[in-house]
Amino acid sequence: MKRWLLVVGREYKTRVRKRAFIISTLLGPFLMVGLVALMVFIATSTTESDSKVLVVDHSSILTYSLPGEDDVRLPSCSECFPERDFLEYRFTNTPLTTEEFIESDYTAMLELDDGVLQSAKALLKYEMAASTKVKSALKRDLGEAIERLRVKNESSLDYETYKRLKVRVGLVTQDIITQDKNIESQSWIGFVFSIFMFMFILIYGMHVMRGVIEEKSNRIVEVVISVIKPEALMGAKMMGIGLLGLTQIVIWYMLSWVLFIGFGFYVESTGLLQEFIGDQGSQISATDFMTFIESDSDLGVLLQVDWAMMLGWGAFFYVAGFALYSSLFAAVGAAVEQESDAQYLLVPAMMPLIFSYLVNVFIMESPDSTLAIFCSFFPFTSPITMMVRLSVGVPWWHVAISALILVVTVYFMVKLAGKIYRTGILMYGKNPTFRELARWLMYKNR
Amino acid sequence: MINTPALRLTNVSKKYGNHTALAGVSLEVPQGSIFGLLGPNGAGKTTLIRMVAGITGPDSGEVEFFGRPLSSNDIHSIGYLPEERGLYKNMRVGEQAMYFARLRGMTKEKAERELRGWFDRLEVDGWWDREVADLSKGMAQKIQFIVAVLHKPKFLILDEPLSGFDPINAARIRTEINRLRDDNGTTIMLSTHDMASVEELCDHVALIDHGSKILDGEVDFLREKTREGKINLKFRGNLISFTAALGSSAILHNSVSYGDNIHDVVLGLPSSIPIEKFIKWISSEVDVLSCTPRIISMDEVFLQAVNNSEAS
Repeated sequence: MKRWLLVVGREYKTRVRKRAFIISTLLGPFLMVGLVALMVFIATSTTESDSKVLVVDHSSILTYSLPGEDDVRLPSCSECFPERDFLEYRFTNTPLTTEEFIESDYTAMLELDDGVLQSAKALLKYEMAASTKVKSALKRDLGEAIERLRVKNESSLDYETYKRLKVRVGLVTQDIITQDKNIESQSWIGFVFSIFMFMFILIYGMHVMRGVIEEKSNRIVEVVISVIKPEALMGAKMMGIGLLGLTQIVIWYMLSWVLFIGFGFYVESTGLLQEFIGDQGSQISATDFMTFIESDSDLGVLLQVDWAMMLGWGAFFYVAGFALYSSLFAAVGAAVEQESDAQYLLVPAMMPLIFSYLVNVFIMESPDSTLAIFCSFFPFTSPITMMVRLSVGVPWWHVAISALILVVTVYFMVKLAGKIYRTGILMYGKNPTFRELARWLMYKNR
Repeated sequence: MINTPALRLTNVSKKYGNHTALAGVSLEVPQGSIFGLLGPNGAGKTTLIRMVAGITGPDSGEVEFFGRPLSSNDIHSIGYLPEERGLYKNMRVGEQAMYFARLRGMTKEKAERELRGWFDRLEVDGWWDREVADLSKGMAQKIQFIVAVLHKPKFLILDEPLSGFDPINAARIRTEINRLRDDNGTTIMLSTHDMASVEELCDHVALIDHGSKILDGEVDFLREKTREGKINLKFRGNLISFTAALGSSAILHNSVSYGDNIHDVVLGLPSSIPIEKFIKWISSEVDVLSCTPRIISMDEVFLQAVNNSEAS
């Protein structure tokens, strides 16, 4: 067996079996999905008592009173303001005073003025703030009531026809030269990719640094480099840990799909989907999860994204970006004896990484701006920023140039880092200054 | 060829920036010897050891290993135990030992067989599947020693091999070092500050200071040389008349008196006078109780050599 392969194997094996790694790998997607689900759950679910809302229709626009019973009003259209299991409506045209309201069992008071038909605005008075769920139901019900009235007043259509005719536009853009079609909202997928890229490069780059420091501080490195060249040791270490990161990425990716599909089945089987669609008042009449996802403007991109392209380039930029940064971190680790001493070298090493993470927000907004193009070419930012551009479509030669620059930079960076590493791991005593580090680069081989 | 030295350094120099670690050092380590590499801290020992271990190369000069220039193929023949050594914390003992054995080119089966033998002999069996974090310092050092010698190297470099061991285990390791030399014919280069272990183990030494070799040779020869004809003489008689009788034929270095009559003196004898002849002659003046060549410790050899080199 080749010796450097033994090193790769050791770096990989001793880490992959660690409890922390296994737990984070298996639970990561559950935690992320769980967190999102929890937020959605909290936002939509009501453990609160049912709401009873008094709709105060000052100008009797949406309601009418039964003859002889002035204080009991009903919505003008029979379908409007339906009863829900968490929400009950009462109607009037005289508002309650504050004292009366507090005395009453109403949880909120929805006041409509005479301009409601034009402004589509209403005032919700409450004693206890209404939940998102109640508010969205109120908005939906009021909106439909206004819509129905407008349709009735201003057209000869019936409401069902109107609803059928109503459109929502999704914009698909196409680069006239490359013929690449893009869906605008795909950029968030690229953004998610780049967040993971940032996370993995940072986490596993740190692993490399810590590994180097461990070997240096307990002198194991001397035994190992008496057998294999320091540059080979550094490379093998990076490779082993890079593979570790890749393992986690692949498992997370697969688990996420399993979870997603499992969630889909769950939603279909429980009928939650219909309820959700109903609650959203969306125009989709989907009965299965996939159709629902497909037709939703934000989630639909999940199915339209060119996964092969994203994953392929994602893998490339991860490998290259990791090689770039982990070689830097390896050099940092070799220069110091303890992790706590590494700070002054880590800050400059991490700066471009953090910068590219921050600048991503702008790139997401305008993926063809000069800033975006520069960042996706500049090798220290391209692994992260290019992911965003890739998701919304980018000329192939941009990707090619970016990849080429990155590969060339990686080559030189690894060589330079190797020089610092080679000298640093055998130096003990005070931490080197930047000038000394530069001098190490000049030392001749062996 | 038994006469080819296991290691020969010819005019080896190494600089780190402005600091000269080694300035033209030449030395020979005979095959099958236990060679003590001595010197104060910062003398250049570590640099020299790293050079032999193949970690660094010289800026100039030659390093010959069994008659040929030291090359990367020789790594299988070299064992190396660095100073202040440690082990990987996240690996089990046996697994770790296997890793190093395989790095040195041993097959899995052979490495395991040899390791079991060593674990048994140094009484660390039962530790195979334990975490390194659970090892005591002495235990960890035994493992490190085993790892360094497991592949039966032709040439073994031990940097302070005995530091940190209790006397019982130190003795055990000394036995193993001797056994490696006697049974396997391993040539051993040993760096240490502990002169007692040099006296016990080494047959050759070299002393390095400020990047230069200031002394080397066989231990017995160096001690004899440093002795400079000094003898210990114990006699009954009058010290004043003894001194008078001695005249200028020998130099009196030191004397301790027990009571009025018994004296213990250190004499410097010119090489022209054999010790037997001197005893015969002085016996006629005083009553000689004992007379032995003075025993010089390696400490003295060391100190004298360093002082001499600093004076010159």
